[in-house]
Amino acid sequence: MFRMMPEQASEVAPKIDWLIYLITDISVFFTVLICGAMIYFAIRYRQRDGKHHETPQIKGDHLLEMVWTIVPTIICIYVAYYGVKYFYDIRHVPLDGDVVTVNVQGQKWKWDFEYDNGKKTTGEAVIPVGQHVKFVLTSRDVLHSFFVPAMRVKTDAIPGRYTYAAFKPVKTGTYQVFCTEYCGKDHSMMLAKVRVVSEAEYKTWLDDKSEELALLKMTPPERGRAAYNKHGCNACHSLDGSRLVGPSFLKAYGREGTYDSGKKYAVDHEYIRQSIYEPNAHIVDSYPPNLMPNYTDQVSAQELDDLIAFIRSLDGSAPVAAQPAAAAQPAVDLAALSPIERGKLLYQQKICVTCHSIDGSKLVGPSFKGIYGATQKHVDGSSATVDEGYIRESILQPGLKVAEGYQNMMPPYEGQLSEEQIKDISEFIKSLK
Amino acid sequence: MTSHQHAANPAQNYLNHPKGVWSWLTTTDHKRIALLYLFTILLSFFAGGVAALVMRTELMFPGHDLVSADTYNRLFTLHGVLMIFLFIVPGIPATMGNFLLPLMIGAKDVAFPRLNLLSYYIYVIGALFGVAALANPVDTGWTFYTPYSMDTGTSVVLMTAAAFILGFSSILTGLNFIVTVHKLRAPGMTWSRLPVFVWGTYATAVIQTLATPVVGITLLLLIMERLMGVGIFDPKLGGDPVLFQHMFWFYSHPVVYIMVLPAFGVVGEIIPVFSRKPLFGYRIVCLSSLAIAIIGFVVWAHHMFVAGISDTAAIYFSIITFAVAIPTAIKVFNWVSTMYKGSIRFDTPMLYAMGFVFLFLVAGTTGIYLAALAADVFYHDTYFVVAHFHYTIQGGAVIGLMAALHFWFPKMTGKMYNETVGKIAWILVFIGFNLTFIPQFGLGMEGMPRRYYDYLPEFQSMHSLSTIGAYVNAFGYSFALFNLLWAWIFSKNYAPANPYESLSLEWQTPSPPPTENFVETPIVTDWTYGYGTPLKSGAH
Repeated sequence: MFRMMPEQASEVAPKIDWLIYLITDISVFFTVLICGAMIYFAIRYRQRDGKHHETPQIKGDHLLEMVWTIVPTIICIYVAYYGVKYFYDIRHVPLDGDVVTVNVQGQKWKWDFEYDNGKKTTGEAVIPVGQHVKFVLTSRDVLHSFFVPAMRVKTDAIPGRYTYAAFKPVKTGTYQVFCTEYCGKDHSMMLAKVRVVSEAEYKTWLDDKSEELALLKMTPPERGRAAYNKHGCNACHSLDGSRLVGPSFLKAYGREGTYDSGKKYAVDHEYIRQSIYEPNAHIVDSYPPNLMPNYTDQVSAQELDDLIAFIRSLDGSAPVAAQPAAAAQPAVDLAALSPIERGKLLYQQKICVTCHSIDGSKLVGPSFKGIYGATQKHVDGSSATVDEGYIRESILQPGLKVAEGYQNMMPPYEGQLSEEQIKDISEFIKSLK
Repeated sequence: MTSHQHAANPAQNYLNHPKGVWSWLTTTDHKRIALLYLFTILLSFFAGGVAALVMRTELMFPGHDLVSADTYNRLFTLHGVLMIFLFIVPGIPATMGNFLLPLMIGAKDVAFPRLNLLSYYIYVIGALFGVAALANPVDTGWTFYTPYSMDTGTSVVLMTAAAFILGFSSILTGLNFIVTVHKLRAPGMTWSRLPVFVWGTYATAVIQTLATPVVGITLLLLIMERLMGVGIFDPKLGGDPVLFQHMFWFYSHPVVYIMVLPAFGVVGEIIPVFSRKPLFGYRIVCLSSLAIAIIGFVVWAHHMFVAGISDTAAIYFSIITFAVAIPTAIKVFNWVSTMYKGSIRFDTPMLYAMGFVFLFLVAGTTGIYLAALAADVFYHDTYFVVAHFHYTIQGGAVIGLMAALHFWFPKMTGKMYNETVGKIAWILVFIGFNLTFIPQFGLGMEGMPRRYYDYLPEFQSMHSLSTIGAYVNAFGYSFALFNLLWAWIFSKNYAPANPYESLSLEWQTPSPPPTENFVETPIVTDWTYGYGTPLKSGAH
């Protein structure tokens, strides 16, 4: 009865559910037994004709008292034992072996995840199936709690302290994360997802730096927009002039107004810097104080400049959307282009350009100029001639052969490029004599 | 003891003598103070209930319907503070306890009548602080967890000051009751003849006196931290937010027993009278109240299993928590056994008492999920806890108060209420209550967190059911209380001194009692529960 627990996605989940259903069965049994007895007595011994009948003056019974002291005691010990045993399973993280560690920071009202290699995400953690995962939790402001129902784990995130929630996912899929410690206005919006993927997919995802590389190609306002989304400014500051928790960013730069202290202000570079690094030094009139956390440790100097540029760009001259528009595709007819031209376009779109020059200069990776047909030495001492197959492999599995004098840094492009496109890139490289 | 069956509404009683509003506001009569408390706490119950209905209406469907997220957060804080600090902590002890304790032990009043009046006015001052805080209602939840309560711009200082002041009212009432039970029992009223309600209230008084100062200190530190930046709880100032939780729950767990132990006492009084049987296992029922009060002091951190305490501490607190389940289970078995071979009448108080047994069984058994460590990790801070808590406090303490109000209504007012209306209202309360909170157990099992203004669409059907239940429940309470109020003002059906043929002392004096309670000091010669025909020697 009452088998209502959600999907079991962690190794420990079936054990927890077994315990919960055991308690349910015991509870239902005793509730029915005791209420059944009460209702039976009520009917069997009811007063008839509005008159009392004779009743025996039974004051108690030692044997019965012993029975209903001892039986619940035994049941309690049994249930408590399994509660503790499985609690150990929830809390235990193996010391040896592969434990994936994800650092989690809770903040009103978002979850930030950071991996050992520096990869950062907000609102979604990607983890491999079949490996123990340890989410190390802390908070930047108030108490939060990290709850993944499908995994049957929950732990509070506490400012100034580290706690953890660990589990071993056994099923791929996307699972809901809730904040379960009340944290203010948008507590119920402080959601996130845990996406459990195959180990291979996890590796690919973890090494994929394309988002960070993409930043290098952006203009300052575009980077500012990315920072605006990444740091969750969007939770409180709108871009369309509507009033959320804090003032809107639309036409904010140059705006004049008063603080709640009555002092006048005008939004300029320094105003924005102070608002981010010392948010509670001044409060704009009619807004609540102490809601915005201090971003000193989170927003870098570069990001600050970008954010300022972004806010300056919101002068109302162009319609804005919170999410960056899909990368503008050049309005060209691909079919009308030669393979070399298409390859060049891809070279720019897929940001090969960031690391591979076409003029022979050494960037992060080898230059494409004159590479085709040459013999390439590798860090492991082997060497090979660069041909179409070599290029294809370098794009899809760049880690297999690393060119001498360079580091294994390139993200694999498996799944991001079609065979057609790889061919086009090869043709482009071939053309760079 | 004999019962006086003549219809009595003696010309002069505590209600009509002396006359005038001033005589009520300055009264030191425990019965009048009980009524002052009763009206004040019912006002809080009403206001807290309205807050709950607004919340449930908002939660009928996902998304924004009626109030903003910010308003919602303030509403659930208001609901919690009103219901806990202003309604149910003083609930049974300050009303029924004040009224009944001296009557049941054959005393003229409590030990310190003027202190008793002072307790009431401290309560009123505390309540006024709470009202003042409404200028910028608090949004922390009734738990005031740091560091949120440091950061929020709402009137935390005023609201915690209110709770701090209310605490003194509670401490003084507890102290008064302890001394009263020790010193003012009538000749022959030995400890082993005391009614279980007195035992329950006594155990409650011990907790009130010992635990309340701790929350007083905690809230004072919180106020100092907010006003002066003393770094006790806020990590930014070098404090520890988990320490706040320890100190808060060191009071706020035992406070659950302040709420519910007197209700146990009420049920222990009602079932024997309407079954014409002695309370089964009287001695163990009394001792179990004390056991619950004592063990209740050392289980506080079961509110904190996932709050960052050590795993070892969690294991200790889990095991000790199971120890509270046993005396509670013993009580339930004894109440039901009392009905065996009885002569059972189903007057409204008995229906409430039987309803209490079922609701408290659900409260107790769902408590096992939360005591079992591995299961609590899942259920902590979900709707499961909300439902469990409401079964304990509404199903326990509030239903206990309703049972008491109906049972002792003839004694308090000298009138009889309409039985049929009382029973219909009981059905509404019972159905409405279960309809509100059974779906919340389901929500909790599916992982729905508490204190959520908005929720994922898959939770909608159970939220809607719960909201409908809340309306039925509220209607039931209004109907029941209206019935009592109506009877008090308009009924011509005067109550006899002892309409239910109880053997307890409070029924051996006219209804309503004279100011001095008993015309002559009663002399007790027998046990309170000597119902039925004595058995042949040798048996029991």
